[in-house]
Amino acid sequence: MLNYSNVIENDKSYPGLQMREIKPVMKLIIRGKKRQFLSAVGKSLNLLLPNEANTSSRSDQLTALWLSPDEWMIFSNEILKSDDNNYDVEKLLNKNICKTNLGAVTDVTDQFVLINLKGDKIFDLFETGSPFNFNDFKSKKGLVTQTILTKIDIIVHNQDINNVNLFVRRSFSDHLFSWMNDSASRL
Amino acid sequence: MIKNLRVKSSKLVDETYRISFKFNGSTYYGFKGDTLASALLANNIHLVGRSFKYHRPRGIMTAGSEEPNAIVQLHNGTSRTEPNVRATEMEIYEGLVASSQNCWPSVKFDIGGINNFLSPLLPAGFYYKTFMWPASFWGKYEYFIRKSAGLGKSPNVPDPDIYEHKYIHCDVLVIGAGISGIIAAKTAAKNGFRTLLVEEKSYLGGSTIYQDSEFFKINNQNSASWLEKEINEIKKIENLEIKTRTSVAAFHGYNFLLARENLTDHLPLEQRENKTRQKLLKIRAKKVITATGSIERPLIFDNNDRPGILLSSAIKKYADLFGVACGEKNILFTNNDSAYETAISLIQKGIKVQAIIDNREEIDSKLIKETEKNNIKIYKGYTIVDTSGYKRINSISIMKLSKDGQKVIGSKENISCDNLGISGGWTPAVHLFTQSGGKLKFRDDDQVFIPNSYPSNQISIGSCRGDFTLDEILINATKLLKDFLNIKKTEYENIEIYSAFNKSKRNIWLLPSNKILGKTKSFIDFQNDATAKDIKLALREGFRSIEHVKRYTTTGMGTDQGKLGNMHALGIISETASSKMGELGTTTFRPPYTPLAFGTIVGRNVGKYFDITRKTPIHEWHVENKAEFENVGQWKRAWYYPQNGENMHEAVQRESKAARDSAGILDASTLGKIDIQGTDASEFLNRVYTNAWSKLEIGKCRYGLMLNEDGMVYDDGVTTRLDENHYIMTTTTGGAATVLGKLEDYLQTEWPGLDVYLTSVTDHYATISVCGPNSKKIIQKVIPEIDLSDKDFPHMSFKNSKIGKVKCRVMRISFTGEQSYEINIQANYAKSVWDNCMEAGKEFNITPYGTETMHLLRAEKGFIIAGQDTDATMTPIDLQMDWIVSKKKFDFIGKRSLYRSDTIREDRKQLVGLITDNPEEILEEGAQIVADMNKTPIEMLGHVTSSYFSPNLKKSIALGVVKGGKNMMGQKLIIPMEKKQINVTVTDPVFLDKENKRLNA
Repeated sequence: MLNYSNVIENDKSYPGLQMREIKPVMKLIIRGKKRQFLSAVGKSLNLLLPNEANTSSRSDQLTALWLSPDEWMIFSNEILKSDDNNYDVEKLLNKNICKTNLGAVTDVTDQFVLINLKGDKIFDLFETGSPFNFNDFKSKKGLVTQTILTKIDIIVHNQDINNVNLFVRRSFSDHLFSWMNDSASRL
Repeated sequence: MIKNLRVKSSKLVDETYRISFKFNGSTYYGFKGDTLASALLANNIHLVGRSFKYHRPRGIMTAGSEEPNAIVQLHNGTSRTEPNVRATEMEIYEGLVASSQNCWPSVKFDIGGINNFLSPLLPAGFYYKTFMWPASFWGKYEYFIRKSAGLGKSPNVPDPDIYEHKYIHCDVLVIGAGISGIIAAKTAAKNGFRTLLVEEKSYLGGSTIYQDSEFFKINNQNSASWLEKEINEIKKIENLEIKTRTSVAAFHGYNFLLARENLTDHLPLEQRENKTRQKLLKIRAKKVITATGSIERPLIFDNNDRPGILLSSAIKKYADLFGVACGEKNILFTNNDSAYETAISLIQKGIKVQAIIDNREEIDSKLIKETEKNNIKIYKGYTIVDTSGYKRINSISIMKLSKDGQKVIGSKENISCDNLGISGGWTPAVHLFTQSGGKLKFRDDDQVFIPNSYPSNQISIGSCRGDFTLDEILINATKLLKDFLNIKKTEYENIEIYSAFNKSKRNIWLLPSNKILGKTKSFIDFQNDATAKDIKLALREGFRSIEHVKRYTTTGMGTDQGKLGNMHALGIISETASSKMGELGTTTFRPPYTPLAFGTIVGRNVGKYFDITRKTPIHEWHVENKAEFENVGQWKRAWYYPQNGENMHEAVQRESKAARDSAGILDASTLGKIDIQGTDASEFLNRVYTNAWSKLEIGKCRYGLMLNEDGMVYDDGVTTRLDENHYIMTTTTGGAATVLGKLEDYLQTEWPGLDVYLTSVTDHYATISVCGPNSKKIIQKVIPEIDLSDKDFPHMSFKNSKIGKVKCRVMRISFTGEQSYEINIQANYAKSVWDNCMEAGKEFNITPYGTETMHLLRAEKGFIIAGQDTDATMTPIDLQMDWIVSKKKFDFIGKRSLYRSDTIREDRKQLVGLITDNPEEILEEGAQIVADMNKTPIEMLGHVTSSYFSPNLKKSIALGVVKGGKNMMGQKLIIPMEKKQINVTVTDPVFLDKENKRLNA
């Protein structure tokens, strides 16, 4: 059996800010333009993909983030087992989307590290390294943005008030998390 | 002599909190709230520095950021030392150590002061004229010029402070918290705009907050009291953020501004530990209201630079705000009513005013009447023609002005004094407005430049737009704010304003003297010692443009950027050249408005955060096994693994030998990986690669070369067909992001009809490459269920597999020329698989190798590295890779360019192998290649692109590009080095196993 080695080992806590990696979480990028693609995904997952830019939708098991007009990220709400990387959702979508030539399904589970941030200082942290205007974003649940934090591409999902999911590519995650801790220590 | 000139307590200064500080080695005391300037003045110290060129004694001249003279070095010789700090802005703290600049051995006795006596020999342009000849002497001149250049000393040890950046987005940004800024911020915030108010000083209210006089009233209250209530109100508004000690440094296009927020400079050093010193605020504002006020002008007359000569408004501020008298025998010299405001303030505080010299002849105003009531002698229609006192002014000489103001008449009269306030009217602070691209117009009435057209969503209000009286400011600001914020009403509609200020002014740019101009020193730029005489000399010598005069005379080129004197320089040019001020224009105002520390600009992008580092999932293993790392793009890649004190060469020789003889293992996770899906995926690959893809079988891999539209090699890699409509493409490590961007761009803009989707999976998969004769045995142990037989799994093929319950992909591809397998596995399992490979390979002496060995192994095989053996001028044909260019395909990116006359030339630089005559001699990469050393000029045929000593071939090998190299096989060439020539023979670039026996073994 293979050992599972994620990047971020310890949860971190500062006044008004807690940061931890959520893992293992299945993540898929799905892409498609056709109307049938949207309905096939909806039927397969019992989840309507958000069609408004920079928004998200959620079912009990899954969350879908709008990334571009023909691109979404789907991630599992639950934590999965770490000894197995076979996902039923992926299989189902492969069958209903790829095999029917409606679009593309790509496993990106370890492409992104999911860091969950909680607390009222989340956006104070972001302001130290991201040019994005979070003024309206922070008060609207479910909004999504793709921006940079200290020059690193990130996806930010405003899951709830003072509860944010940050997705960063794995190779950058150690550097980013170190930077976030450094910045958080002075908030 | 030390005196206490503290005359009255003020709201800003806390006299219960005494602070000691050192200036030029002596200890002095001030109070909390004092600036270094106010504290020194309270101790009767005016002499604080020496001017740049003539080393003339100079004193504190202003009370703000426009200060040209009182610039000091803080904490000299320590890590926190900082030059050119304006004493007028520096708040004192316990333990502050400041010293004068540009003087030796001391500010009181400065050897450089001899320049003042040599000044007739040092006109403007002295350096340009003098050091032209003889040319051979330049080395000697340079030594002395460099020694005398610059002000202050830069720190030579690392900065211990922390600096940060912060991004701010607001609806309305108000710059400046004087009376205009306060009412603007309140109006904006109360109307629902998310508002940010920034003020460079530590307090709010500008000059009105200490305007506590019966002559300036709002709603029947003294203007200071009225404003204080407004300030207290705005502090309670929720959507209004106020930042003091925050100076806007730059106003860029589209309302993007940079500001420096100063957080700890006013604190004792021991209280600064682990705190952020300064923040660079990056502000994006939907609307900007500039309320930066105005700067009082000096007056230009002979010897107008002595310590003890201050702007009149500064004297008032030191008295009103800091409770400090700048002198005991004060004289004011003015061309407008401002000096009378100062006089009234001084009288109120019991500070003696000897006299007022007013160059206006017939004047009358309430302020003047009030002054006259106090038996102060007013010399109307007079001007100062000279001053005396070397280290502190002690008297002035005045004469009557002629009616036209062009000359002086009558006899000279001397008046003794210890302090002189000068007021030449006011200059709107339009610096930020013009930085943003705003255009100015010249108002002839009072000779000021004011904003004309706004390039972005912004307005200027208050005195920075030329409204100088209280009533003008409030009435116009209210009107402008309503339009700008699109609101119907403000709370300042029916306000009652009383201002006794009379706007009359007699503007004379250069006041006449009883001496000829050549005998005077009428300073315009106080820091750089540019005088009126210098400006006129520049004009005589043919300079006309203000930009040229500025550079020739250095006017406005000091740390203060000419905030005081630039207008006078323009005025004198205009008068002398008989041109109109409005047509002359101004010099360019460039950011920053006040100097910024490098630390503030850099923020936290220092040390380990200087640049981003990317790590592979196996990175920690490489660290534990003492790998040396090399930067490849932002990646940290294992370079080589030295053992027992090996150097790089020795380690690489060992690693490459092991890889060929038994087994080597490489972390290849950094290669770019792009998942390609869609019914047109094959057609897409046909278009982006030079070779054909439609017939590639599922489960097979193919090497591809990607060109730019100019036909030059851009990237390369192996792409695998995973399914009918599903491929995975690999790219070079450094090219991954740009290749994905380029391909996505083609799909979106050129080929929107193609049904293809791209997704990066670079970080999702780790890639472990095991190569060498024993690689098959090792992989078999790691993945027992996979059939690795050559028949079932030949070179350039792929299989899906599983390790435990974890799915993975195995490719049999090779970059080393050895039999080689790559396991692609989800990143979080990669470390475990690597460990398994190491364990399984133990019996075969599996040897981890880094990028250096990888480069050597591929060079033995003649495989190129895009970016090392290519440089955006190499076509596939130049690389002798004609075989990869399909002749049958309808099109691919770059195809057309391959048939241009230039790209089919036979004598283009082409990739060849190079073998040295001496097999031990290793060529230097980048070395030039020539054929004939005697030809003049020597013809450079090309250069070495890759070079190694091959332990497997037991000789030096190299790749290089050589003009017409393809047809030069066997020819002798020369590599000329600094002290020797190396003879080489041109060969085929494939040095090892041309028949691919090892690959297929």
